[in-house]
Amino acid sequence: SAVATLRSDHFEMEPETMETKSLTDYFNKMHRDVMMGMPKIEE
Amino acid sequence: MAVSSAVLSMQNENRTFVHYRMEASCLDLALEAERLCKGGDYGVGVSFFEAAMQVGTEDLQVLSAIYSQLGNAYFHLQDYSKSLEFHHHDLILTRTTGDRLGEAKASGNLGNTLKVLGRFDEAEVCCQRHLDIARELGDKVGQGRALYNFGNVFHAKGKSVCMSGTAPGDFPEEVTTALQKAAEYYEADLCIVKELGDRAAQGRTYGNLGNTYYLLGNFRDALASHEQRLLIAKEFGDRSAERRAYCNLGNACIFLEEFERAAEHYRKALQLARQLKELAVEAQACYSLGNTYTLLQDYERAIDYHLKHLIIAQDLNDRIGEGRACWSLGNAHTALGNHDQAMHFAEKHLEISKETGDRSGELTARM
Repeated sequence: SAVATLRSDHFEMEPETMETKSLTDYFNKMHRDVMMGMPKIEE
Repeated sequence: MAVSSAVLSMQNENRTFVHYRMEASCLDLALEAERLCKGGDYGVGVSFFEAAMQVGTEDLQVLSAIYSQLGNAYFHLQDYSKSLEFHHHDLILTRTTGDRLGEAKASGNLGNTLKVLGRFDEAEVCCQRHLDIARELGDKVGQGRALYNFGNVFHAKGKSVCMSGTAPGDFPEEVTTALQKAAEYYEADLCIVKELGDRAAQGRTYGNLGNTYYLLGNFRDALASHEQRLLIAKEFGDRSAERRAYCNLGNACIFLEEFERAAEHYRKALQLARQLKELAVEAQACYSLGNTYTLLQDYERAIDYHLKHLIIAQDLNDRIGEGRACWSLGNAHTALGNHDQAMHFAEKHLEISKETGDRSGELTARM
């Protein structure tokens, strides 16, 4: 039929989702852990 | 911590050289690389990650993140063999250190890369590992993502054996089985991301589920899925996703013989493609509109859109697109009784078919 001839073979897929391992989050956590482990300064 | 002291020369996207004086630790360099990749500058990002690796680190979590992000950067740069190499390094590392979450993520990324390379059986193994670990850790987000990736692998597997020229719904059993599996995984993913209230993930899944229903010949379900995708794209103001949804909605409407509605969707896709300055997509929308107006027997408008398609195809030096436009223009002029014009485009189509080695196009043109 005309539809079969004139249909579109082109359809649009959604992007892949890649997993991320954030260095910024890791750095912030490391920094926080260091700060929390610091002895309190007596006034 | 090891420190690098050197001058790095890197070419940025404007092809000018940028010189960086390096006195930085591995983590500093990797953090800068991460920032560059987040901004879309993957080429320079890769150089920074490689510099970070040269400096080296004893922190295996940092090393895992570098491998993973390098793999992702190469994936975006479409260098899939390099991407595979780094995601594989990451998998080995996380397995050695017993980092289960890291192993799940490495498996997911490896699966996506293997899928793009057409290595579907290996991709399935990776997706299964991703899913198993996510279940073991009670990680619902991870489970949803693994199911989405699984759906993508089966969709791509089905599409890879689709016979060109075969209409959706008429594929061999092997294709239908793969597509049905894809739909099952997307549906399972949808249950999880709905439970999590993750609208962005729902949007992606609805989009690909719609395309899977389309290939299976379930055009009503395809339409319903793409309508959901459109709604979510609008919620986020995501114009690329909106354009994709309009294009896919148009395709489904054609099969439901709702041609006016199809034209309306394709017109919106065209408008968005122009706003987003995506020339190849604009050409595709013009081609689809030309075909839709042919189905509506409005040949004047069909010619208008096929001419627009022809001009863009010439600009892009896309000879196959140009050939298609000429073939369509020849048909539309024949329908209007413009025999000279029809002959002109038929000859042009024949010439292009010969040049591109398109035998079926050449035979059609000779007719």
